[in-house]
Amino acid sequence: MEVFGDLAGGFATALHPINMAMLFVAVVLGLVIGVLPGLGGTSGVAILLPITVFIAHGSLPGSDATTAIIFLAGIYWGALFGGVITSILFNIPGEPWAVVLLFDGFPLAKRLGKPGLALASSFVSSFLGALVSTILFTFFALPIALKALEFGPAELFAVFVLSFATLIGLGAEAPMKSLAMLALGLLLAAVGFDTITGEQRLNFGQISLLSGISFVPVTIGLFGIGEILASAEEQGIGFVENIPARLGLQDVFAALGELRKRLRLVLSNAVIGFFFGVLPGHGATAASFLGYGLARQYSKNKENFGKGEISGIMGPQAAADSAGVASLVPMITLGIPGSPTSAVIMAGLFIWGLQPGPVLFIQHPDFVWGLIASIYLGHLLTFILCLLAVPLLAMIMRVPYAIITPFIVVISIIGSYSLNNSMLDVFITVVFGVIGYWLRKMKYPLAPLVVALVLGDSTERELRKALIAGHGSPLYFFNSALSTVLIVLAVVLVLIPLIRTIRARRRGAGAPAAAAHP
Amino acid sequence: MLIAAVAMFDSRAAFSPSAGTSPGDVGARWYPFLAAAIMGIASVIVAYRALATPPGSEAAFEGRQSVFAVLKIAIPMLVYALLIGGIGWKTTDFTYVVVPPFGFYLATALYMGLFAWWLGRYKIWWVAAIAFAFPLVIFVAFEIGFRVTLPKSFLYDAGILPF
Repeated sequence: MEVFGDLAGGFATALHPINMAMLFVAVVLGLVIGVLPGLGGTSGVAILLPITVFIAHGSLPGSDATTAIIFLAGIYWGALFGGVITSILFNIPGEPWAVVLLFDGFPLAKRLGKPGLALASSFVSSFLGALVSTILFTFFALPIALKALEFGPAELFAVFVLSFATLIGLGAEAPMKSLAMLALGLLLAAVGFDTITGEQRLNFGQISLLSGISFVPVTIGLFGIGEILASAEEQGIGFVENIPARLGLQDVFAALGELRKRLRLVLSNAVIGFFFGVLPGHGATAASFLGYGLARQYSKNKENFGKGEISGIMGPQAAADSAGVASLVPMITLGIPGSPTSAVIMAGLFIWGLQPGPVLFIQHPDFVWGLIASIYLGHLLTFILCLLAVPLLAMIMRVPYAIITPFIVVISIIGSYSLNNSMLDVFITVVFGVIGYWLRKMKYPLAPLVVALVLGDSTERELRKALIAGHGSPLYFFNSALSTVLIVLAVVLVLIPLIRTIRARRRGAGAPAAAAHP
Repeated sequence: MLIAAVAMFDSRAAFSPSAGTSPGDVGARWYPFLAAAIMGIASVIVAYRALATPPGSEAAFEGRQSVFAVLKIAIPMLVYALLIGGIGWKTTDFTYVVVPPFGFYLATALYMGLFAWWLGRYKIWWVAAIAFAFPLVIFVAFEIGFRVTLPKSFLYDAGILPF
């Protein structure tokens, strides 16, 4: 098997001292970011993205683009694990994917008095979920990429359309809101020079807008600043439940025992989480809810759910971590981010001068396989750190609000400024922070906006290339079987919510008042 | 759940046509127009649903307190961003300066200090320590460690301070 040789090469790259050192730093940072409620994985990765430019260009001895991606991805792995700790101990989710853990994780820790078991169960299942996902990643990535190399503009455009359709059809928010955000993202991406004709557009005569709206300050604003503003509102409303944080070896063994009883659930959730995560636009959050639903559905003691059932911790955790890893698969192989976080990592690839997508496997195999190997190592490292450092991590929650809030703002501003040395980017960050906060309040999803902003240019380019090749005829998209299938699939996905509403309306025709107040 | 406020609709209505820029040829303008049109249609539907849903089922803000809590963070942040670059404008023959650029480090010291003093209610020497320590750590990490240059102050331009 060729894969094993490639993977061995990857391990050789990942085990390089500088890469291991940066992986360690990243995982610790990720855990801290995960624990802090005002700072999420996506914003953490976005804020630190400008630093990776210096890592990728060799500011540190021996560092290169592989070090940079190992660093960025490591933050994500840390955050995937770390967000859970505060959910279980304080009833405050550190990350959106840890919200599910409030249902059973906190009750197990508080009501049943087993915080150690709750934490250990979560870590063990996270680790197993991520491991399964990484193994699938190892074997699926190259075949997908090789297939993708044969794609022409029509197929590529169809893939983009499909990924947008999944955001609308499978999103948790109202589909029309997703559509509006998607269109806004495409619109923002179109600002500046037209990629085909070089014509200026949407710049309203401003020279500073000619280079387009940069993706990084927008993301830092939407996620970093937006989250700070949103958590400002919850201050004083929320009440911190404090549970002593200790994690003993006996907790780990107890959790392993519980895992053995639920091995089928955890493994199947991990596999499902992988395929869910590969779908563009869906990361760990959606998968965690799916995983909880599945765990409940197939449990013999449904009545225990919500009271501290361990399946209610292990099911969603396995799915969430698996989906988190899997969301890198479409990014690396096709150049389509699977989640907002992987969208930010993909922006990193562009900045380091790499083209995400199938060509990466041929031109930079060290990079791809180094990354894959680092996923194995990163999760192992995170797992060990989690077992050792829970009390320390729980202490971060005690850092006063009056220090942590301005500090995150300061770091966000450094992040947005230092990429292009531009004050305009700083203002874009601040403005989009307020917009992001407002969109959150209005329950508009942010993922479609970010994904569309990243993919906007390529989508337009492929669409227009295809239209030029087809002499302006949209029928060109149905010339190849693959693009036809993808477009039909996309249409079906968009229609799902519509069908659901119509069915709900038919069923609820007798009780319209109930439908008006969901 | 569908309580997208009327204000949302207003801002959208103002935004979409400006982005539209005549649909004309299938050139540079066609694609943004399409995106703007899709967004316009989607936001009209969202607004229609919001208006059709009886209001009051869920308020956007939980009381006045939370509005203030958000403004408390948002306003200092804006002032901070303005302070870094300074406030002023240029004409062809003269540059007007209302507030000189404080640069990143001085602005950060003021900003972190303000929070420690105002929200944290710390003793004054703690406030001073925080205001001094954070910019210093950032200076060492970024300016020396990563060799990232951050905006400098008017005192740097005058040659008084190293930042």
